[in-house]
Amino acid sequence: MHDSQDIETATTAVATEGRPDDKTRRYDRQLRLWAATGQAALENARLLVISGSATSTSILKNLVLPGVGHFTILDHTEVTPEDAGNNFFLEGPSSIGKSRAEEAVRLLCELNEGVVGKADTGNVAEILDKNPSYFESFSLVIAHNLHPVLLDKLSTLLWSDPTYPILAVVNSAGFLAEFSLQFHEHAIIESHSDTTPSLRIDKAFPALLEYAKSLDFSSMDSMEHSHIPYVVILVRALEDWKKQHDGKSPQTYDQKKEFKAKILDMKLKIDEENFDEAEAQAYRCWTETNVPSDIAPLFDDPQLDSLSPTSPLFFHLLYALKKFAAQPPHVLPLTSTLPDMKASTASYIHLQRLYKDQTTEEKRTFTSFLQVPVDDDLVDSFVKNAHGLKVLRGKKWGLLDASPEQLAEKLSMSPRETSTHLAMSALRASTIKHPDIRPTAEILTSEAKALLPPGTELPEEFSNAIGELVRAPTADLPNTAALLGGLVAQEVIKMITKQYIPIDGCCVIDLIETWTGMI
Amino acid sequence: MSTAAGRTTHAKAILGPELYSRLSETKVLLVGAGGIGCELLKNIVLTGFGHITLLDLDTIDLSNLNRQFLFRKKDVKQSKALVAAQTAAPFNPNVKITPIYANIKEPQFDIEWFSSFDIVLNALDNLDARRHVNKMCMAAQVPLVESGTAGYLGQVQPLVKDLTECFDCIPKPTPKTFPVCTIRSTPSQPIHCIVWSKSYLMGQLFGEDEDATGELDEAEKQGENAQEIATLRKEAQAFSAVRKALRDPTSKESAARMAFQKVFDSDICNLLSMADMWRHRAPPTPLDFGKIMDESFVMRRAVPAAEPSANGHPPHGAAPVLVNGQPGQHDSQQSSSSSTSGAKVALKDQKKLTLKENLELFVSSTNRLATRLQNGEETISFDKDDDDTLDFVTASSNLRSAAYGIEEKTRWEVKEMAGNIIPAIATTNAVISGLIVLQALHLLRKSYGRLRNVHLQFKPSVPLSAITLSSPNPNCGICRDTYTKVLCDPTKTTLGDVVKGILGQSDREVGVYEDKRILADPDWDDNYERTLESLNVTRGKFLTIVDEEGDVATITIGLGVLPGNHPADGPAFILPDPLPQPPKKVKSVPVTSTPPRASLKRSAPDDDIIELEPSSKRQKSAANQDISSPSKKRRLEEDGLVLMDTANDKLEEEDEVIVVD
Ligand SMILES: [Zn+2]
Repeated sequence: MHDSQDIETATTAVATEGRPDDKTRRYDRQLRLWAATGQAALENARLLVISGSATSTSILKNLVLPGVGHFTILDHTEVTPEDAGNNFFLEGPSSIGKSRAEEAVRLLCELNEGVVGKADTGNVAEILDKNPSYFESFSLVIAHNLHPVLLDKLSTLLWSDPTYPILAVVNSAGFLAEFSLQFHEHAIIESHSDTTPSLRIDKAFPALLEYAKSLDFSSMDSMEHSHIPYVVILVRALEDWKKQHDGKSPQTYDQKKEFKAKILDMKLKIDEENFDEAEAQAYRCWTETNVPSDIAPLFDDPQLDSLSPTSPLFFHLLYALKKFAAQPPHVLPLTSTLPDMKASTASYIHLQRLYKDQTTEEKRTFTSFLQVPVDDDLVDSFVKNAHGLKVLRGKKWGLLDASPEQLAEKLSMSPRETSTHLAMSALRASTIKHPDIRPTAEILTSEAKALLPPGTELPEEFSNAIGELVRAPTADLPNTAALLGGLVAQEVIKMITKQYIPIDGCCVIDLIETWTGMI
Repeated sequence: MSTAAGRTTHAKAILGPELYSRLSETKVLLVGAGGIGCELLKNIVLTGFGHITLLDLDTIDLSNLNRQFLFRKKDVKQSKALVAAQTAAPFNPNVKITPIYANIKEPQFDIEWFSSFDIVLNALDNLDARRHVNKMCMAAQVPLVESGTAGYLGQVQPLVKDLTECFDCIPKPTPKTFPVCTIRSTPSQPIHCIVWSKSYLMGQLFGEDEDATGELDEAEKQGENAQEIATLRKEAQAFSAVRKALRDPTSKESAARMAFQKVFDSDICNLLSMADMWRHRAPPTPLDFGKIMDESFVMRRAVPAAEPSANGHPPHGAAPVLVNGQPGQHDSQQSSSSSTSGAKVALKDQKKLTLKENLELFVSSTNRLATRLQNGEETISFDKDDDDTLDFVTASSNLRSAAYGIEEKTRWEVKEMAGNIIPAIATTNAVISGLIVLQALHLLRKSYGRLRNVHLQFKPSVPLSAITLSSPNPNCGICRDTYTKVLCDPTKTTLGDVVKGILGQSDREVGVYEDKRILADPDWDDNYERTLESLNVTRGKFLTIVDEEGDVATITIGLGVLPGNHPADGPAFILPDPLPQPPKKVKSVPVTSTPPRASLKRSAPDDDIIELEPSSKRQKSAANQDISSPSKKRRLEEDGLVLMDTANDKLEEEDEVIVVD
């Protein structure tokens, strides 16, 4: 702002400059969940949804509303009366006979003018045959109740190259459903993990140690004394303890008790809460800060040994992290977030400054291990979230059903979930073998048995599940569609934003008994 | 196949012909047309519920459109209930939707009214209304499906009186409260300044011209510092001049400056004159309008020696530190619920304002609000989606923070803190509303064994957790009461008519309450002669009859109006037939959720206490709050903050005290 401006101009400028635009206002409630980075990822995503069923449009609704960049609905069929009755994103009777893709896209686009939607009335079977590269331009493909033969082809095609889009397979019948994500590898920086990074009280960095040692607790007035941050109290108490114990922190139960008692003895007045806080946090003195057990295995990733300038940045960052942790004191880089604690404003700010300076210093070291240039914001984000990094490795869709032994094992371990899955698989198999017959309990049972080792007993849960399928093998119920739409879209958003941890495996849903489970 | 048949084939197959035919006769009340409400309305229209009453008191805001899919940009500022009904109705011509644009707590929505529904579905976002609907459903014996969401998390809970827990059986988190003096004279955290700004200052300048000294009288009675109270009282009185200027078109720019002068200069100077207050804490610095504008303003705050100042300058000893024009002197930490990423695409309102920019924003927002008053708006209160008020609260809370040496917050953060914002997305609402319908179907089918309390959770291994329902808490102050209703003309019915009528032959000793007011007890029956109207006990309110010995359950009487066909010369009131027979009470410890009130023998329903909707962030910080058990809580305003008059003045022991050198 220029000094020469009068108040009127200046204030108008601030009022509008600092104010969010319409887009930010529209997305306010979700930006507080996944921030601008997540939003940008969403807006760059291109989705392909195969079929314009009620479930498909329910999924899409939940992705169009938060502002996914682009979606295409691929569906060559026309709207039937059933569709008109259960799909909210068709225009009732007036949509009957029109292209389901075109009608659904038109109505979905009304939800958010910032989203580009495209209807493709092509036939997925022909595209798979004649134009397999069609799929490459998308970031994620969702297939709902796709014919099993085509699903098999599609999943095989998308699995054939790790750079091909992620595939979300969704199947539902009546009140039963299952879905899974097919991806090769999914690396997450922002997992929004619950664990907090270490304050390194047990391995105090030099400036923190110096500061704790420099304070003369005995000459402080009572006000000052009751506002020494617990971090400082602990670093100091631990240092004093180590001096008397061969440089070792409290080891045994008795020593730990003694250490805590010593902290409380430091109080000048009984109500000094900062010392109570220190006592409560004393475990930090003997819980060694090192590379967390969830993170250490990531350093064994073979990709770290064959990095090239074109390798994903995540692995370059992971490599630098590995190098960093290999140095003493064998920890992850510090993050400067201090929790709230009893402290005077001045001492808190000073402590924050020490942590900040050290964080900057360690970030510099970390960056020196990078073999390629990485954007500074990304480095910050990586370092800040280093204690919650995740690398998921996916499986090809249908792999489970290809192994009778594995299925049998799952069936005995989690009969309810596996039975429902098996029933859905049996339904698919019967669609291939008996395309013109409505499935019966006998057909489904024999198809399920064919997937299992000979002689495997089917549990009671299986008959419950097929009972439901026999009753409504093709029903796309609006309420199931709504719920499934929420669950699937949620996982799709996690994949696209690369934030939070998505489901790993096949999610089975039974809405009669109201449960979900993973296999 | 016709569309109608097409629509119903599947539903019939699943629900069975019997339940399905009942659905079209079913009367459902859907409370809330927001995030969950829109989804739910769509689902129940498609499922085939025949008669839907949809109630919501809100209008549509732009920030609703990321999830409330029945609304479009052109609908902004329209009634949610009306627009939602219009959008959803054409979808199923056999469904009758009755939208109501009103507050569910209004008196006409009494027990009679609630009783006319077969089932109630809650799609609300605030605890107060959720608890109210719970109580009404318990009173009217109507099954309720209760729900809530926060970000990726959500919950659905079916509730049936006497069969399951009610919403109040489990104590809800206690609201976060602040001592009056912390807010008014000794803030130590950003939230204190924000509460001051939105709840106190906004009211003083733009709210009703009410006597703000009531709560000070109360605080004085509770033993808070008398001298401090006297100063605060003087401060309140001096607002009238500023109020007048703000409403006077001729005062123009000067009104904002006048307001500034008063609250950031003279009020602070007054407080400073009480030397005692500042012995153990850093005194605030009065702000100077002109000097901040020409960037020559210098904080007089002394910084403890040998410590670097907040903005990273080398230590100055006790020298004054220039804080003017230093954006980012604090860590520019974004709000904790937003992502931790290095947000390259940082949002505009996530930028920290300088002191001067805050002042400019204060002036411009005050002017905008003043213009609105001059153009006929009678009062303006804080609304997170009203930019003028949000700008005002952002600027004035930051100016106050500057005066007290507290970290300033960005507009983005202020919005979240002042507006109790909970992240909300379409996916969670879709899942939750799907679950609500399933539970509702189980309730209608009376398959109680299939009812589940369902949580949508974070765990990638178990997205939904479903638990079987618990029985009512025997000590619950809501659902363990025996409910009944009396229809009456309150101008002609006395308290005694109702109480004696309900007790019938029984001569047990009782106390009588309306909400927290005591109206009679065994040694004091003066009010029995008075009419209900004179006691302000009217339609929609509850009278509670509490057994003096605590032997039998409390009787709660909902008051309704006489039926339309009641003869003019008929009796003034109609008692229920048969009279309620409250069961014997199991003696045990009282519910812990409600703090005991000195004047009450029973923990009265607590529904005047509004709670902060706990976002995970807030819960965390609440744990660090120094909140002593409140002796008395008073509702401060609609959405949530409760001021607390502490009986024990804890000024000397607050959790963050600024140390003076
Ligand atoms: Zn209860």
